[in-house]
This record gives sequence, structure tokens and C-alpha cells, in this order.
Amino acid sequence: MPEKTGRINCINTEIMIHMEKINLSKGFTLKLSGMPDTSVIQLPRPDTVGVSALDIPHIRPKLLVKEKDRVNTGTPLFCDKRDTSIQYVSPGTGTIKKILFGRRRRLLEVVITLDAMDEFVQFDPVSAKDLSQISPRELADHLKQGGLWQTLRQLPARDTADSAAAPPLIIVCLNGNDIFSPHPGLVLQDKIRQFEFGLSVLKRFSDRVIVAARTNSLGLLAPAKHLITLQVPDIYPAWDPGTILYHIKKEAKENAAWYIGAEGLVHMAQFLETGRYPVNTMVTVTKGIDKKPHLITRQGSPVHLLAGNYPPGSLITTGQLNGRIKNPDAHLGFFENTLNIIPDTQGDEMFGFLRPGLDKPTVSKAFLSCLLDKKVQMDCTMHGEERACINCSYCENICPVDLMPNFIMKALVSDDIEEALELGLLDCCRCGLCSFTCPSKIELTRILSSGMDAHHKDKQG
Amino acid sequence: MNPIKKIFELLEYDFSDAGKFAKLGPLFDATKTFFFLPSPKNKLGPFIRDHLDLKRYMSIVIISLLPVLFFGMYNTGYQSGLARGETLDFWPSFLSGAWVVMPIIIVSYGVGFFWEILFAAIRRHPISEGFLVTGLLFPLTLPPTIPLWQVAMGISFGVVIGKEIFGGTGRNILNPALTARAFVFFSYPVSMSGNIWVAGADAVDGITGATALAVNAEGGSSLFSTLSDQGFSLSNLFFGFVPGSIGETSALCCLIGAVFLMVTRIGNYRIILGGIAGLIITAILFYFLPGTRGTWADAGPLYHLCAGGFLFGISFMATDPVSAPGTNPGRWIFGFLIGFLTVILRVANPAFAEGVMLAILFMNVFAPLLDHLVLKHRISKRIPNV
Repeated sequence: MPEKTGRINCINTEIMIHMEKINLSKGFTLKLSGMPDTSVIQLPRPDTVGVSALDIPHIRPKLLVKEKDRVNTGTPLFCDKRDTSIQYVSPGTGTIKKILFGRRRRLLEVVITLDAMDEFVQFDPVSAKDLSQISPRELADHLKQGGLWQTLRQLPARDTADSAAAPPLIIVCLNGNDIFSPHPGLVLQDKIRQFEFGLSVLKRFSDRVIVAARTNSLGLLAPAKHLITLQVPDIYPAWDPGTILYHIKKEAKENAAWYIGAEGLVHMAQFLETGRYPVNTMVTVTKGIDKKPHLITRQGSPVHLLAGNYPPGSLITTGQLNGRIKNPDAHLGFFENTLNIIPDTQGDEMFGFLRPGLDKPTVSKAFLSCLLDKKVQMDCTMHGEERACINCSYCENICPVDLMPNFIMKALVSDDIEEALELGLLDCCRCGLCSFTCPSKIELTRILSSGMDAHHKDKQG
Repeated sequence: MNPIKKIFELLEYDFSDAGKFAKLGPLFDATKTFFFLPSPKNKLGPFIRDHLDLKRYMSIVIISLLPVLFFGMYNTGYQSGLARGETLDFWPSFLSGAWVVMPIIIVSYGVGFFWEILFAAIRRHPISEGFLVTGLLFPLTLPPTIPLWQVAMGISFGVVIGKEIFGGTGRNILNPALTARAFVFFSYPVSMSGNIWVAGADAVDGITGATALAVNAEGGSSLFSTLSDQGFSLSNLFFGFVPGSIGETSALCCLIGAVFLMVTRIGNYRIILGGIAGLIITAILFYFLPGTRGTWADAGPLYHLCAGGFLFGISFMATDPVSAPGTNPGRWIFGFLIGFLTVILRVANPAFAEGVMLAILFMNVFAPLLDHLVLKHRISKRIPNV
């Protein structure tokens, strides 16, 4: 018996040495209801799929197809004008039904009516053996043709990774953007081999690959535990690449790190192994207090199909704190794998500001609800009106990357980009917590994001 | 439907941009949102938002002021009773005090809101909740005998020069309530010093009416016994049964408010604790200075803490987030220096018996500098990302 315990201890220490940990003293401490179930359901094939241009950062899309064109699975639909070799491909076989434009002819989505059977655009497969023989450049070109290069993105602007420069490190973020994004244990279920292959692909681009997972995901991730190198706490947004980088970086050159999600990496590996564009994706849908299963569906599925029934007035978002609003008629985007349906409230409340507030979730200590330790349901309203900044520092107290969003906001609105940068603007991980907590209801996240985007655009020239 | 809501909906059009009272739109909005907390749907991410807003924020400050307000009313009545040679019970004291205090508060709110609405109507922005606090803080810093026209002048100066010319709440450099008090203090010195601390006392002879801080022991006797002789025992100062400005007399009530502000995290504990530490340390240093017997330099930390308006100022005035520094180290230094300067002014400056008002205003001016230094330091600690 003692011998056995000794061995277990030994294994534990090995894992402990292997897996580093970061601590987060700030972040989102409320417990939200609606955590999805760990069961998995395969959805039937949808009638239409869409490729959205709205969730792709900084893109200037250039269309490659017209309405009524026939496309195969893997046919490029549009590319990025800034680098036309980066292509966005069709996740299904069929006819282009509609190309939707917004104001000033901004491309919104390309919608495809699906055929009964898939016909794939076939690429040369790349095996684990071939991998060492092709250069990173060739590998990048291959992935760009296949429509999967863009799964790799680059900090701080979160633009598509620049294949011309080797990254200082690559962060594999197993957990998605939202608190209720798909569980990496389910995403990687039966795909550990592909995941490992994907990691060896990343090793071709950088020697330093970090695989980060939330603490509460580790249980289901047991089969992949030997591959995880960084454990992050269960406080949103500890698993965000920007937050991870901020807490592990030691020098300025690490700022240009690349990152990739669990599913993106598996897709990349599947594409290289089979030469075909992988079409399935795992999504979660969260709705009130229901526990919903994980769904496997085709990339670009219609939102209304996934959302099902929901109370009128609700907002459908792709991340409660850092996503965007989804129209029910739209289709799921390339980077989107969660739909949060957030209910509306029943109008204005009489003397709302004077109530004790047992039912008003808050990260402050200004309502009695802060004494209760229970799961809360938030609604999609502002709970107040915009006012001037009063320097209360609530934003600083919650910022996971130690920024002072109030001071950066003031630098940005007075057009002092230099001061904003000095104060660490580009470390901002766009988690949305400053706007969440601001008692003056200032759109801090929007102001900081716009500042970062403007700076990125300026730098690109 | 709620009948009050119906009234608002009936009036809505007249106060909209197209209506006949378009200029008074901000007043309508302020009244409406007082009754019905607005909660528009989020258009930008994050799509969930915390329930804390500025109305709640300011309401908590108002709640923290209720103990000093009610005690101030009671004590005003009680002191004026004492001056007439009667010892009044609770309710008579409270009611006669309220009779004196309420007009001051009403004038302060009324005149202040007039300016707020005027500026909001001209600038077409909503009325900020910040004035709810300013309008109550200012009367609490005044002696109960203050003429009401001076209250009106003071709050006008505080709101217009102290706040609105800078752009309104959130953009002012000085605390508007203290700016208002400083204006009254320097413009109408007759109303702010001497025999003014007890309402109705001028009718009675033989009442000195000075506050504890104006007392100095003579002929080598100790300060404590002189203070005690005049009714300023430490326990009286602590509980507040002494003449003084309406809200400042009770150290206990100020502490209750301070604790409430710190627990709800609405007032920053760094300012309050830093200030108390600064006062105590400076008072101890002076206590050990030789040759100060009988003066306030000899008073020691407890008397400095309980006498005068220090606890009121540090709890409710210095914690105004707008005019205090916005960085945490800055807040510690800000608080500490207020405590330090308060004692320096009380002890070393014969022109002013009380120093807390000037100490806070002085540090308000330095708050941006403290922030600047802290930001420079923090920038040097970050790994640059440009």
C-alpha cells in the first residue's frame, strides 16, 4: 500500500511541475445561472448555412462569388483585401442563395442553400511525417487555401496571424470567449489525437506553445491532461488569451503572441489529415436557468434553429460580456460558438434606486444581494442612465489586466493616444467588465476597443 | 397601470423637443427617473450590466448622512434649549431643531436645483444626481443661525463656480459643498464665527457660544480641564452634545456614516483611514512638542479627532470621488495629508480655529498632481505594449 501511494504522489508532482498556474486577483465574481449540461446532441442538417463577415476582426472583405453560383464545401466565398490569400470558404455544398449587405455596402453574410450531399474541394493531405519536411511558410499557405489559417490570431489587435513573422509564443485557449462557451472536454472528446497533431503543427511556427484550461474544465479534460501546460482560475476572463498573456509575459516582444481555440486547432488538424474542410462545430445555447445540452451542428447554422423558443424582447448574443448581438435570421459566424439568450425586464421600476435590492445582482456592495451566495440571472438592460465619470475606480477594481479604464478613457476622448498607450491600452482584453461595472454607465469597453482598433488601422497604414 | 406613470406619459409630449416646455425637458426627465428607474436595453456589449448606478450611489451617501442629519436637528434644538436654561426632552429638542434646520436645507436644495436645472436646460444634458449630496452636505456644515439669504448665496457659488463652470458633476476640481461653505466663510465672517453656534442664543446673555476648537486654557491650567469646564468633555465631543455646525458635532454619528460608506464601498476607505491616521500621527507629534501647554497642540489625538468637523469632513467631503484622487496610492496620501493639514491649521495658524475645510480644499487642488505621480509610477512598472 505505501508503495502505491508513493507512486500516485509521484505522478501528481509530475503533473504539478508540468502544469503552471496563474492567479487572478480581479475579474467577474458573480455566479450566473444557465451553465450548459455536459450532454451532447447532434442536430439535423440545416437547410441553409451562412458565412458571416461581421465576427471577423478588421477584415475588408472581397467577394469571390455571385448569387446563384454553385459552391462545394471548401470553395472560397470571399477573401481579405489586405491579404487576398486569406480566404473564407463555404462550410457546405449548394447554391448561393443571397449575399447580404449592410449600410455602405458592407458585406454581412453569404447565405447558401444546402444540397443533400456534400462535395468537398479536395486538398493534399499532410501527415505527421510530412510535417517536418514542409516549411512554416508552405504550411501557412496550405492552411490559407483551405480556409483555416484565420483560426490563428495575433495579439494585441486580435487580427489574423501574420504569417510573415514568427510569433514569440502561441497560446492555445481551450475555453471559449464566454463563461458558458462549449466545454473543452467535450470539444476534444475522441479528438485528442487530432489535437496533439495540431499542437505539433503549432510547434512548426513557434517553440513555445502554451495550452491553457480553466480549473473546472480539468475533470472532463483528463485524457488531454498531459498536454495542458497552464491552469487558469475560474474567474472570467482568466482564460482569455489577452489576460493569459498579460499574466505570463516577461518582456515586451511577447506582446505579439498568437492564439487559437480548441476547436480551431482540431479543425486545422482534421483539414491537414484529410485534405477536406471540416464542417461540424460544437455550440452552446444558454437561456435563463435552463441547463441546455451542447449541440453539434454545421458551421454557419441559422441562429433561429439553434435558439429555439425564447421570451420576446430577449437579446441573442455570442457572449454575454464580450460577444455581439445576433439577429435571429442571421447565421453563426466562423469564430462564434455560443449563443446567450438574455431576457428583457418588465419596464421601469418605481423608486428602483431605493429598494434594498435582494434581487439585484451586483459586484458592488450597494445592494443586499451581495450578501447572498447564489446563482443569479441577469437581464439585458442598462439599469441606469449614462452620466459623467466620477472617478469611482470600480472599473480599475475589476479589470483583469490591471488597467485604469477611466484614465485611459479620458486620454482617448481627449485624443491623447500616446498617453492611452502608455497606460497599457493594448493590454486590454476587451472582456467588457469595465462597462459592466461602471455606475455612470459609460461605454468604456467600446471606447477602449475603438481606440485599439483605430491604432491598429493606423499602424497598418 | 401605475397612476403616477400615467401622469408622466400624459406630460411626456409637452416636455419633449417638439413640446411647449422643451426647455424644461431635463427637469421632467429628472422627476420621471426619480420615480421610475430607467433601464434601457443594451445596444453595445457587454449585454449584461451591474445594477449599481449613480442614483443608487448617491442614495447611499444620503443614507449615510441620515444619522448626522437627525442628530444635528436634535442637537440644534437641545443646544438652544440649554441656552434658554431649559433641558429639553428628545422630541421637543428634535422638533425645535428641525424647525431651524429644515429651512436651511430647503433653501439649499431649492436654490441649488434652480442652478442645476438652468445649466442642464441650456446645455441640454440630464441633471446629475451629484447635487442630491451637495445640497444636503452644505447645510450640515453651517451654523444653525445662518441667515437664509447667505445659504442661497453660498449654494449658488458652490454649484455655479464650484461645479457648473467646469462642466458639471464629474468635472469639478473642488468639492462643491465645501466651495459653497468657503464662500460663506470668507464673505460673511460675522455669520460664521463668534457667538453664532446656538440657535436662538442671542436672546440670552452670558452664553459664550464658542466651539471647542476656539478654547485655549489660560494661566497654565490644562486644556482638558478648561474644555471640561465649558462643557466640552471628551464624551460630550464624542456623542456630540456641544454647539457647532449642524452636522459636525457628533463624532459617533460621523463614524456610523463613515463605516456605512466603507462597508458599501461607496466611500473609499483609503481616504477615511488615511485621514484618521494622518490626524492621529500629527496630533501625537504636536503633543510631544514642549511648551504648548494649554493650547490645541497639547490636545492629543482623541480630542483632535472628536472636536470640530474633522470626522464629518473626512467621511463625507473628502470621499467625494470626483474631487479626490482617482488612484489608490493617491487616495492614501490625499487622506493622510488632509489629517496632517487639519492639525497644522488648528495648532499653528491663529487665523483659523478650524482647519478641515481648508485642508480638504487644498488637497482637492493637489489631487490631480497626486494622480499624475501615481500614473507615472504605474506606467514605469508595466511591460510596455505600444
